[in-house]
Amino acid sequence: MSMPIPGSEIFSSRPVDPAELQASLPSTLVTHTVTQEQVDGLDPLTHEVVRHRLWSVTDEMGEALKRMSGSPIVTDANDFDFAVSDEIGQEVQVGLYNPMLVGAVDLAIYWTLRHRAVNPGIAEGDMFLTNDPWVGGGLHQNDTMVYQPVFHEGKLFAWTSAICHEPDLGGVGLGSFSPAAQDVFSESLPTPPVTVVRDFRLQRDVADLWVRRSRVPMLVGLDLRAKVGANNVGRERILALIAQYGADTVKAVMKRMMGDAESRLRGKLAGLPDGSWTATGYQDQSHEGDRGLHRITVTTTKTGDHLTFDFTGTDPQAGVVNCTYAGMRGGVMLALLPILAGDIPWSAGGLMRCFDLVTEEGTLNNATYPAAVGRGPIGPAWLTGSLVAECLSQMLDHDLELGKNVQATCCGTWDTAVIAGLDQRGEQPVPFLNIIMEPMAGGYGARPHADGIDTGGLFCIPMGRIPDVEMTEFLYPVLTLWRREEPDSGGPGRHRGGVGASVAITPHGTSLPMGLVLASAGKAVSQNAGLSGGHPGNTGLDVVARRSRVAELLAAGTMPTELAELSDELEPGQNYASSYLAPGEVLSMTWQGGGGYGDPLTRDPAAVARDLREEKITADAARSVYGVVLADGAVDDAATAAERERRRAHRRERSGAPAAAGPVDVTAGRRLDDNLVEVPRDGGHTVACRHCSESLGAAGALTLARYEGPPTDAGPQITATAADYVDAPVVFRQYCCPGCWTAVWSGVVPADHTDPVGARAAG
Amino acid sequence: MAYVIGVDVGGTFTDAVLDDDSGTVVAAKSPSTPPDYSRSVLDALERLAEQLGTPLATMLAQTHHIAHGTTSSLNALVTGNVPDVGFLTTRGHRDSIFIMNVEGRYLGRCPHELQHVLGQAKDHALLPKRHALEVIERIDRDGSVVVALDEDQARAAIRTLRDDGVRAIAISLLWSFRNPVHERRLRELVAEQDPELYVALSSEVSPRIREFARNATTIMSTQIGPGLRDYLGTLETSLRERGLAGPLLVMQSNGGAVAAAEAPAAAISTVGSVLTGGVVGSVQLGRQLGHRDIISTDVGGTTFLAGLIVDGEPVRDTTTVINHHPINVPTLRVDAIGSGGGAIAWLDGGGNLRVGPRSAGAVPGPACYGTGGTEPTNTDANLVLGILPERGLLGGRKALSVDLARQAIDTQIAKPLGLSVEQAAAAIHAVQNAQTGDLLRKTVVEAGHDPRRFVLYAFGGAGPAHCARYAAEVGVSEVVVPLGPVASAFSAFGLASSDVVLAAELSDPTFVPFDPARAERNFAELEERVRDGLARQGLAFDTVELFREIDMRYTMQLAEVTTPVAAGPLDTAAIEAAAAGFEERYAALYGADAGFREAGIQAITFRVRGVGALPFSPALPEVPAAGSADPAEARDGTRPVCLDAAAGYVDTAVYDYRRLRSGHVLAGPAIVEVPTTTVVIPAGHTGTVDRLGNLTIRSAS
Repeated sequence: MSMPIPGSEIFSSRPVDPAELQASLPSTLVTHTVTQEQVDGLDPLTHEVVRHRLWSVTDEMGEALKRMSGSPIVTDANDFDFAVSDEIGQEVQVGLYNPMLVGAVDLAIYWTLRHRAVNPGIAEGDMFLTNDPWVGGGLHQNDTMVYQPVFHEGKLFAWTSAICHEPDLGGVGLGSFSPAAQDVFSESLPTPPVTVVRDFRLQRDVADLWVRRSRVPMLVGLDLRAKVGANNVGRERILALIAQYGADTVKAVMKRMMGDAESRLRGKLAGLPDGSWTATGYQDQSHEGDRGLHRITVTTTKTGDHLTFDFTGTDPQAGVVNCTYAGMRGGVMLALLPILAGDIPWSAGGLMRCFDLVTEEGTLNNATYPAAVGRGPIGPAWLTGSLVAECLSQMLDHDLELGKNVQATCCGTWDTAVIAGLDQRGEQPVPFLNIIMEPMAGGYGARPHADGIDTGGLFCIPMGRIPDVEMTEFLYPVLTLWRREEPDSGGPGRHRGGVGASVAITPHGTSLPMGLVLASAGKAVSQNAGLSGGHPGNTGLDVVARRSRVAELLAAGTMPTELAELSDELEPGQNYASSYLAPGEVLSMTWQGGGGYGDPLTRDPAAVARDLREEKITADAARSVYGVVLADGAVDDAATAAERERRRAHRRERSGAPAAAGPVDVTAGRRLDDNLVEVPRDGGHTVACRHCSESLGAAGALTLARYEGPPTDAGPQITATAADYVDAPVVFRQYCCPGCWTAVWSGVVPADHTDPVGARAAG
Repeated sequence: MAYVIGVDVGGTFTDAVLDDDSGTVVAAKSPSTPPDYSRSVLDALERLAEQLGTPLATMLAQTHHIAHGTTSSLNALVTGNVPDVGFLTTRGHRDSIFIMNVEGRYLGRCPHELQHVLGQAKDHALLPKRHALEVIERIDRDGSVVVALDEDQARAAIRTLRDDGVRAIAISLLWSFRNPVHERRLRELVAEQDPELYVALSSEVSPRIREFARNATTIMSTQIGPGLRDYLGTLETSLRERGLAGPLLVMQSNGGAVAAAEAPAAAISTVGSVLTGGVVGSVQLGRQLGHRDIISTDVGGTTFLAGLIVDGEPVRDTTTVINHHPINVPTLRVDAIGSGGGAIAWLDGGGNLRVGPRSAGAVPGPACYGTGGTEPTNTDANLVLGILPERGLLGGRKALSVDLARQAIDTQIAKPLGLSVEQAAAAIHAVQNAQTGDLLRKTVVEAGHDPRRFVLYAFGGAGPAHCARYAAEVGVSEVVVPLGPVASAFSAFGLASSDVVLAAELSDPTFVPFDPARAERNFAELEERVRDGLARQGLAFDTVELFREIDMRYTMQLAEVTTPVAAGPLDTAAIEAAAAGFEERYAALYGADAGFREAGIQAITFRVRGVGALPFSPALPEVPAAGSADPAEARDGTRPVCLDAAAGYVDTAVYDYRRLRSGHVLAGPAIVEVPTTTVVIPAGHTGTVDRLGNLTIRSAS
């Protein structure tokens, strides 16, 4: 890790007070705005018509970008987004593709207004380009934003922007990712905002400077044209809208959309009880060769109609698992948009007024230059989002209606493998490079009223897709042995987490070993936490079967379906590794499902039987995790009741049992989550079990039975061995009600993990 | 005398149109009769015969053919009312249909559903896992057998399915379009056990690369094949008993018909048949009117369908989405972009006025229907505004309650917003028009075209009341509302005018430039299949035309673009010309320089489309000429109508479409009443009746 670099601070963008920013602009840059009276005076008809038209403008920008981009990361993984912002940069309407980018777009515009308004100036016909994640616009250097001030009658009226992940922008590693990077100088060079279009003309010198750094300059040049094109569409249509309805009306609608989103979110927050919720998670390994655990922690406090996300206590920046402030803010938006604003228009500028961020400089999710941030979005920013989601879910679980948006943590990363080698199937051998896209088929977290979505995708890229096996085999010299949902990979719970899946490939059509770069997390410590006693989903597991028998097996007319059939030498792939895959070997990747919700011993036995029938779980799990006894696929009710009783007794025996305090009257109780209620008592409140009414003590000091054991006690989904990846001990920890032995919290965590229940129990 | 008859079975009504190819066109309408739709077909034919004044048997005996568009297959898929089917696929890859490439979670969802990720689900698997079994076999991308089919294991899998009561099996193996040997052998193994089982092979139903869509297409085709076979069998028998001598044809998604006996084998090709009639009708009418670029809008009670015709040809697509699955079926592109007349007006959490996408549909229907609907709809707003007559629809046969409409708008919209009922109704009407414009624009722009150079056709019950406004929103200056004899049954008119179209396709993914001999072999094989198919139709064609095309793409880019290829024999120059044609089309669709040609071009799927032209070209007959442009003779008085909140209620002339004559010019604001629809000519516009009785609306300025 390099020392901080004096002079780099100026590139750190932060949220602004719009009025203060407005006042700081030079007199040469006149902005267009409207009064609150004009906003309030809008009639409902005009508002709705213009609002819908702005949606249509943004949608058309996205279509233009998607159609022109040459990158499968855009066209398949949908890692891109676009926005229309007001004159000061606040986002009015955003795309639905990568919601993390929403947290970064405005930061770059604010920075540009502060640092480019005088020299070189901000003028009609300009477009700026940046890939500096400290400035904003994206979460790591591959995210490149091209954005444009839109002028009307000489006044700065709005901004349009288009961002996408570029396949390669230089640096020591393929795709600008190096698993061993020590700092940003091993990665792609961050580029602060430069004027790439001036007077409506693409600046050839700047464009050349830009594409020259890449291993795929033509592709980067194509994406640059795509983003310029998308901005052009945005400008033309905004000006047409102004021509039809007038600048003041359009601007009033833009302001109203943000105000409306803000007030609706505030209204939702105001209806919830005040409180504070904490979540802590890990990156297991920070770079190639590391065996450490790196913690991000967040305390979310809701006061009235406002949220504060306080990341104090997060570990210092390390290896490649860092992101900038923009990444942290993007992570917050990844959770906040779908969980709190699924039914509110995504006028992000308004939504972002409803929270503050508290953070220490030089930490994993607020890294100081020149930290390596290449893994930023998929590592720490994503984890930030998962943890914020965990807090928001705990908050919403108090309320049955809002609880419809509660969700245990989804698949917590994109298990990444890059293969590169020589395709010898054609007349001429050709080099190839492929990112294995299948791990985008992660599982979603379970919810208070529903199971998680099986192979639902990645929560942070809602519209990602994975390619067909046939397209992969057509393009690259591999044979896919299997690509399947993995039974038991969804976290057990009253509602089950969605299952993840696995893929196994072997070289086919090449005689040379291919290079293999791995980047992942969540193998030693679960990233897909359960909620309300639900268990975490599976650990990720990547394996290379060395010296495998695959050729012999195929030749003998069999299709292997298990790793054990393939080889006796199964090498676990580290989270960060540079390796190889030789002909005759097999790479198998198993990625994460979602976490469970509620105690699995309370799951409807019929649902367990259905899960077994649909191969979402194994017969072993039906009995050992869910306590359901089946005969010929049908539930044996009496045997199930006895088995579940036996399993609760087992929990009692293995835990240090606190003295039972006896039941309280819970009829006037207020729901806290699936298991707990808060009841008024002696002028204060006490917490009780919803199932057996057992009094569990004051909110700050719960009396619960605690158990710690090996991670595999969480269920058969724990397939990786923590010691293969990290030095610190990892445990399965569970808290149960000492009255009825229902699990109220379960996790696979480092032994020194501070969990929210323990924190409360400790007072 | 010989007739051609088109019958369009929709969810609510069954329409029929008869043409005698010498100037007589009659239409009839009858309620649809689910679940046995064949009854409504016979009802509609009876009504046609009544109008002709001919006994049904006589009419049918003189009928050259009946072209039938049916919703029953699509309906069965959407409601899940299909029999159990089995699925056999390659070991290790069964879960393709459960993983759904992830996109099964969101395909086919509208924007507000896309944003609400936590409201989504992926619980619409095509079948339970116990009916999806793997067989041991593997073929690679070059078509080489890596692992031979394990026949004993396959026999056991087939037995398992049969033991579970499965009577139809879909078979789809990896790379089967390259080498169908294992799929064909599996069919033999099924027949060994039970020759009565319905079997569909992916290498025949959809020999196209990308296994998820191919699996789903084959399974869906298997789910509806037996039902379609039974339905068409029953219908054809009934028609024969009543004297039909000529063939019964079924409309397909590709805009052409196919003989009923041939349809069940490729059942999936018929799923879009009810959607395409309107587009085919628009092509036909466009020929008569000299329009080559047309936006066709068909607005019913619950759906708004938009199709495009460019340079006289309907815009086609190779894939459609059914139940969130991508389905490989050559189709006329028809986008369902809105919720039609039943679109519900509501206030969102911020108190903002919204219209749609939820629709009151036929049940409970708009509030004014008095059938239990309490939410205000677009139709309710139109009634309050005076656009719809207070005496009701269908010339008063369908009563409407203004009181219920006012009450719904008042409680749900007007009071909360502090507006009068009339202001709220005007706002609903205007929002609906503007949003339709936005969605229509999306359809046209995404197809790569500028809407301003199109003429817009509007039909269906709920289109003509809005079309002048939504056309203006997208910059279209000329709107045609087909009136005359087919005003109420335009889609059925389209069916009557359709030809027989068969397509055969085969994926043979390869890089450009490729060996012309290989392409020629592919096309020759496909052409033979299409010619054989046309020969099996039992029809005499005036002409048979074959069209060759290849779906091509830039290697690094997702979009495949269908490119025409010269008739054979192909040489290198022809391949180069095809690649150049692809680049031109790509640039036209996605913008100049949008293609990344440096990465190379791939040819993915080869296709031959065969069109057998039937010896009929139904045309709308001319209507009598008016004595003068003044339409006073068609005028039915006036009523107060509010078409613009600012102008308020204006005494507006109302015309009866039956008395309109060629040459009449109607000055807006005006209303034209048709039993099945109402046409609005806004202020500042004129409506001109053309020689065929159509109303053409243009801005007066």
